[in-house]
Amino acid sequence: MTKSEKISASFRDPSGFLFSRNGVLYRQVNRAYSSDYARLMDSGLYAKLTKLGLLIPHAESDQAPAESESAFKVIQPERAPFISYPYEWSFSQLKDAALATLSIQKHAMKFEMSLKDASAYNIQFVHGKATLIDTLSFEIYKESEPWIAYKQFCQHFLAPLALMSVRDVRLSQLLRVYIDGIPLDLASKLLPAKTKFNFGLLTHIHIHASAQKRYSDKAVAPRKGGMSKQALTGLIESLESTIKKLTWKPAGTEWGDYYENTNYVDSAFEHKKQLVKELAAEKKPNLVWDLGGNTGVFSREAASSGAFTVSFDIDPAAVEQNYRTVKTKKEQNILPLVLDLTNPSPALGWDNTERDSFGARGPADMALALAVIHHLAISNNVPLTQLADFFAARCKWLVIEFVPKSDSQVKKLLASREDIFPNYTRAGFESAFTERFNIRKSESVRDSERILYLMERK
Amino acid sequence: MHFSPLPYLDPGSGSFIIQIAIAALLGLGVAIRVSWSSIKKYFGYKPKEEEEDSDNDKI
Repeated sequence: MTKSEKISASFRDPSGFLFSRNGVLYRQVNRAYSSDYARLMDSGLYAKLTKLGLLIPHAESDQAPAESESAFKVIQPERAPFISYPYEWSFSQLKDAALATLSIQKHAMKFEMSLKDASAYNIQFVHGKATLIDTLSFEIYKESEPWIAYKQFCQHFLAPLALMSVRDVRLSQLLRVYIDGIPLDLASKLLPAKTKFNFGLLTHIHIHASAQKRYSDKAVAPRKGGMSKQALTGLIESLESTIKKLTWKPAGTEWGDYYENTNYVDSAFEHKKQLVKELAAEKKPNLVWDLGGNTGVFSREAASSGAFTVSFDIDPAAVEQNYRTVKTKKEQNILPLVLDLTNPSPALGWDNTERDSFGARGPADMALALAVIHHLAISNNVPLTQLADFFAARCKWLVIEFVPKSDSQVKKLLASREDIFPNYTRAGFESAFTERFNIRKSESVRDSERILYLMERK
Repeated sequence: MHFSPLPYLDPGSGSFIIQIAIAALLGLGVAIRVSWSSIKKYFGYKPKEEEEDSDNDKI
């Protein structure tokens, strides 16, 4: 008998669940969902949404279901290349995910269906676009019924976008604390008073929050209430226009203009680009993680080998710029994400198994650690041996740049503190890393004091 | 046999009530827009092409 494993994040919706068997991902559709599934497939909605790249395509499979008593069908969805979470997205990524959700709802309504959930976790970036990955999110629309996912949409999308746009972009991190989206009373308290003059934010957040408080202990007959389809259209369009008006411009943050402020001379920068391109072309990785990827210049060199490249950076402004480039150039194999390497995304949710930690989503075939070691070793005091352990757990091939103390960037880091890093030398670095890796290549970056290594995990 | 899926999200009492109130107002706007465009159509104005399909492509 083949072993199938139910995916631990997939337990809330009785319509079905995800399971993996022999490394392949399947979704069981339960009998309770059969009419809705049939409508999705037969009405033309599935064809429309998959053509637009708004819904993940799937094939019906003849695999045996994982739980046969409740099973109606087994489908095999196309797999997203890398699962990311809303607290790792830049402003425009969350905004596009929100607009994709509303666009899907508008299409669904034309086919007499409606979204029965609006979770940001159901959206993933596939081929560079925000795509719904939960095929079972649709239900047959029933006349006069309000939108059951309204509250969830406001918590998962509208509240964080408003806070990021109007208050501070770093408030996206509240999504890491509140797994079902930012509570609206909290959003209402944190938003500046001027947002009460914005009709969309006034109604969907402030008044919505007070209504929740007022009716918190009163029961409303489930799914009752006279709401015409026209009213529902008005509601969706209002959410859409409110979100379209929310903007954020990346500026004035930590690294936004990093490349203009370094000691890089053009020749060193170009040489490094060329080296990364050559190493990726030589090793042909499927998945590359660029750790400290900034705006993605070197990620693009790695991605030119055909690898799917996830470009992580701590700075939301750099990630925002990177994502805008992805959109402008219609790049399909680069995914920019916000990540603090010194405190990466943990495992979250029920039993800590609903959302995977950063490490659990690896290892990658190749990791790039360019101009990042001094930040980890000096700014964050991580011993070099622990850094070697960290990278060895995350990749087979490591392309890492050693930035010596004589480099102006390191001098800057040491300017205001005592140098307690006697081992931070080329020899110390090599000795720590050769515990875990074999050094396959090392090359001085032209016109700089930096050295670029290719290492293979032992 | 017809099966109806169980709603698994809690829509929230307050969220439900306020949604109906807000949507009634917003629906009015949609109604006015729809009837206005049918009046225009009656007088021979060509309706604007819908911008659907491009929602996900804009920055």
